[in-house]
Amino acid sequence: MAALLALEAVGKAYTRGSGEVVALRGVSLEVGEGESVAVMGPSGSGKSTLLSILGCLDRPTRGRYVLAGTDVALLDDRALSRLRNRAIGFVFQSFHLIPQLTVAENVETPLLYGATPPAEWRARAYRCLERVGLLHRADHRPSELSGGEAQRAAVARALVTEPRILLADEPTGNLDSATGEEIASLLDGLHHEGRTVVLVTHNETLARRASRMVRLRDGRLESDEGSAAPPA
Amino acid sequence: MSPQVLLHLGLRSLLLHKLRSTLSILGVVFGVAAVVAMSSVGEGARREAVSQIGSLGIDSITLRGRPAAQGGEADGLRLRDAEAVARVVPALVAVAPVREASLAAQVDGRLADAVAVGTTPAYRSAARLSVRSGRFLSDLDVADSKRVAVLGASVAGTLFPMGEARGQRVQLGDEWFQVVGVLEGRALPRGKAGPIRTRDVNRAVFVPLPALDRGRDPRPDGVDEIVIRVEDADRVTASAETAQAVVRRTSAAPFEVIVPREILRQKERTQRIFNVVTGAIAAISLLVGGIGIMNIMLASVAERTREVGIRRALGASRDDVAAQFLVESSLLTAAGGVAGAALGLVGSMLIQRLAGWPTALSPLMLLAALVTALLVGVGFGFYPAWRAAHLEPMDALRHE
Repeated sequence: MAALLALEAVGKAYTRGSGEVVALRGVSLEVGEGESVAVMGPSGSGKSTLLSILGCLDRPTRGRYVLAGTDVALLDDRALSRLRNRAIGFVFQSFHLIPQLTVAENVETPLLYGATPPAEWRARAYRCLERVGLLHRADHRPSELSGGEAQRAAVARALVTEPRILLADEPTGNLDSATGEEIASLLDGLHHEGRTVVLVTHNETLARRASRMVRLRDGRLESDEGSAAPPA
Repeated sequence: MSPQVLLHLGLRSLLLHKLRSTLSILGVVFGVAAVVAMSSVGEGARREAVSQIGSLGIDSITLRGRPAAQGGEADGLRLRDAEAVARVVPALVAVAPVREASLAAQVDGRLADAVAVGTTPAYRSAARLSVRSGRFLSDLDVADSKRVAVLGASVAGTLFPMGEARGQRVQLGDEWFQVVGVLEGRALPRGKAGPIRTRDVNRAVFVPLPALDRGRDPRPDGVDEIVIRVEDADRVTASAETAQAVVRRTSAAPFEVIVPREILRQKERTQRIFNVVTGAIAAISLLVGGIGIMNIMLASVAERTREVGIRRALGASRDDVAAQFLVESSLLTAAGGVAGAALGLVGSMLIQRLAGWPTALSPLMLLAALVTALLVGVGFGFYPAWRAAHLEPMDALRHE
């Protein structure tokens, strides 16, 4: 069975001013359907770059990235955006809710860019809010939510297009340990439902909850533990 | 994204900053208002000129004697000048000599403010008069210097409010005339007198040329005007020159040649200059308005960098982001265009009421102003939208 996410010797270099900054140097990684992977590494090790490539927000400058059987290099911006919209849900450290919109509108936003008929948007948003236990906050503004609530709203937003992959970037980084625990078990639950979860974090405890742990250093893959990939 | 969703997003975002949105479109509002008001003044002037000249006829020429510089023996235009013109100038429809006197017209104590016009039957054709009842002057009337009169419509109405004027007698100055006909009323251009003096035929009383008493006129065959109508309006200028040369040869009298067609041409030239100036002002004010829009949109993009990053992460393509900002700038200028058109309409009404200038608005002009405003929105919104679309999503997300 082909992996859901497959990086083949992926490199990424940015031009900053006159020089070139290399963020990733030949990373090869395969993530199977339904896996949960934690990506760890010190600052500047290329974690964020890896996440933005996995999330189709950026493209590799070397190597190949094949997502669900599609080489992203072959897609134009529009097609790549569709794929991102359909296949990937993002959860960020600082929640990234749009402050002018209500919670329900924030959760709806990914549907604007997909093919779902507008009549179904609100119902789907409510279903996802219910799933994360935030239905009672649907008409509030993000500024009226606590950190834990805001992150749960963000998780609801990531779920609204029913993506196969969840990408989380330090999802508990801005939360105290109790609410962090809440979010972590929410993500665990989503993983157990069969979603593929890739988690970027500094937090060793959080990382241990994943079945597989990948370490990056200086843009290279340093270790890949517990890759008890499901037997092919 | 569907157009409805884009429109909804755009409206929401603009309504979120009502004051800012309003201020940012003021340039466009005033630009469009100025253009609409100015073009309505120009259009009004043009229509007035056309209707004024239309009432004279663009195929007509008038030679009008000017009072001599000194009080001495004024050697004005004479009857023989008219005859010479009729003989020499080719392709004429009619040549009519005209004499004028301000005389009170009265019947049974009813007094009408009238202009007595002494002329020949040819005047009817030269001035395109139509007779409502009875007849116009005849050759016999002129030859016999008969005391008969044809009344203009409003004179007839004033003197004979109850019934038929024909057959009745009218006192003109010291003499009595028999009414043989009444003219059809003619609509006159509204507004103030323009550059061309037009005779108000409604207020005229036409009598045979020799029957008009000029008091102590030293020149029994003197005339005030010679009215000419040519067959081909395109040749009116050439005919006017010929007529002028003919009269010059026989008469030393100063006179002026009035060719409505030439005046119309001149007006059109003036109009064209006015249009160019209006267009330049329009272009400048829309440019300024557009720069205002661009400025506010750039500020908006900078302020919403994170939002752009979020939307991109959630599946918006570059096109989606660009469309969102373009819709906003177009909505702004479209609103500015509508408000400006309304303001311009009110302005042109005020100009008409306060300054007394005739104004007219062509719907095409209004449409052009609105379309231009919309294009300004798209044109000046393009660069900010492009900037927003080309933000790197990860950088945009990290933007504080």
